[in-house]
Amino acid sequence: MSHLPALVDGFLTTLALVALSFTGAFALGLVVVVLRVGPLRVLRFAGTAYVEAFQNVPLLVWLVLFVFGLPEVGVRFPLFATAVVVISLYEAAYVAEALRSGVNTVAHGQGEAARALGLTFGQSLRHVVVPQAARRVVQPLGNIGIALTMNTSLAAVAGVVELTASANRVNLVEALPIPLFVGAGLCYALLAAGIGGLAGVLERRLAT
Amino acid sequence: MRWTTLSVVVLLLVTGCSGGESSVPGGTPSAIDQLVAKAPVAANVPEGSTMARIKERGELLIGGSLDAPLLSLQNPGTGELTGFDADLGKLLAKYLIGEPRTKLVTSTSETREPLLANGTVDVILQTYTITPQRAERVAFAGPYYESGQTVAVRRGTTGIAKPADLAGRKVVVGANTPAIAAVKAAAPTAELVEFGSDPECLTALRQGRGEAYVQDQALLIADASQDNELEIVGEPFTKDPYGIGIKHGDEQFKQFVNDWLREIQKSGLWQDVWRNSIGTVVSGPPPSPPAIGSAQGS
Repeated sequence: MSHLPALVDGFLTTLALVALSFTGAFALGLVVVVLRVGPLRVLRFAGTAYVEAFQNVPLLVWLVLFVFGLPEVGVRFPLFATAVVVISLYEAAYVAEALRSGVNTVAHGQGEAARALGLTFGQSLRHVVVPQAARRVVQPLGNIGIALTMNTSLAAVAGVVELTASANRVNLVEALPIPLFVGAGLCYALLAAGIGGLAGVLERRLAT
Repeated sequence: MRWTTLSVVVLLLVTGCSGGESSVPGGTPSAIDQLVAKAPVAANVPEGSTMARIKERGELLIGGSLDAPLLSLQNPGTGELTGFDADLGKLLAKYLIGEPRTKLVTSTSETREPLLANGTVDVILQTYTITPQRAERVAFAGPYYESGQTVAVRRGTTGIAKPADLAGRKVVVGANTPAIAAVKAAAPTAELVEFGSDPECLTALRQGRGEAYVQDQALLIADASQDNELEIVGEPFTKDPYGIGIKHGDEQFKQFVNDWLREIQKSGLWQDVWRNSIGTVVSGPPPSPPAIGSAQGS
């Protein structure tokens, strides 16, 4: 099949989108959750505002705004970078919420006890809250990773030729939509299974 | 951002529209109504054929677009479809049924072949370029129109005078359009930047995402008539014969549609439809219609 290189390229682009966006989303989500559970009202408000803004507007809308809106005010990033940034920003809101639910599973009294022992906010997070919260958020984070993988197919809007877009391209020539999209679907399923498996391994290792 | 608003409006209306119905009640007859009035009706519909089934249903199911200016564009106010493809659909419906009753099923490049194969639509009328590969899975009546990919640039761009000049440059193309293959053939080192729709491509060109934009000539002419900054470079450099997609193997129906095409080409109705749509932005007399069966795969 002469179109295999194009499809492999698309798959690799999807992989890169997933890896970079998830890394970005996780890093940013960590910052947002620290703001949201922190002691400062202003920062808590900022964290909440961030989550609400990105969770309540569809990813597609964000992509269109960033790709076509920003150049109108003179800011133009490469398309792939734009896609990674937007998906990271969007998924960070979900990551932050998953992390927050993990933090909330740790009884309030533990945090208070840690503070009473003289630990700072940072120390109480690091030594008391995070170790307990971590294993409880692995599965939700895995699910977010899978959702993120599916969401990367929207990057075609930003002109990024990822797996779905490349299947579409090949179909335009070959007119074989069913095998092509079943194939693309299997690739996504494979990626999702990989992420799910990884989450399972991580969860067992943290469950000490 | 004109196109965002437009797409939102179109989206809102898609669900509520009937499509294919005639224009505002009580208004003066529109150009297409006049054309429909003088359009022919088939003298003989063989029993048990696809045509007889459509006639009995009383409605022609067409796979097409709602957002292609000049070809098949839905008026968000009235729900009516206008354009070259849309008008031909109405005339074909009249030929089959006696009345221009059509129903549009939105199709896309990835759904066209399955929609025909499983009988969801009777025909596809959607700038469907006839190719030998596609002809293995779809029967093509026609070609009913011949178009070509053309290069456009922002006014003032220098160094692009012919398709080969696109080599090594960033070129904006519509995702899922024949422009992708055309640019790859004319300038293999060009870097393609794809966007989903014509307005998005135009915005991308204006914002400097690419130095040139390759698209169907008629569409570019329409764009240039509204946007003074857009400059069309030379003549079309490809030949895209558009066919009417029909279920693979239905030779009888294909023959029927071809007979109809020959008839409206001869009577001048085809030319009238052209004047009513593409001719509103392209100056000069209508082109001579392509010979039926002249494209490889038709």
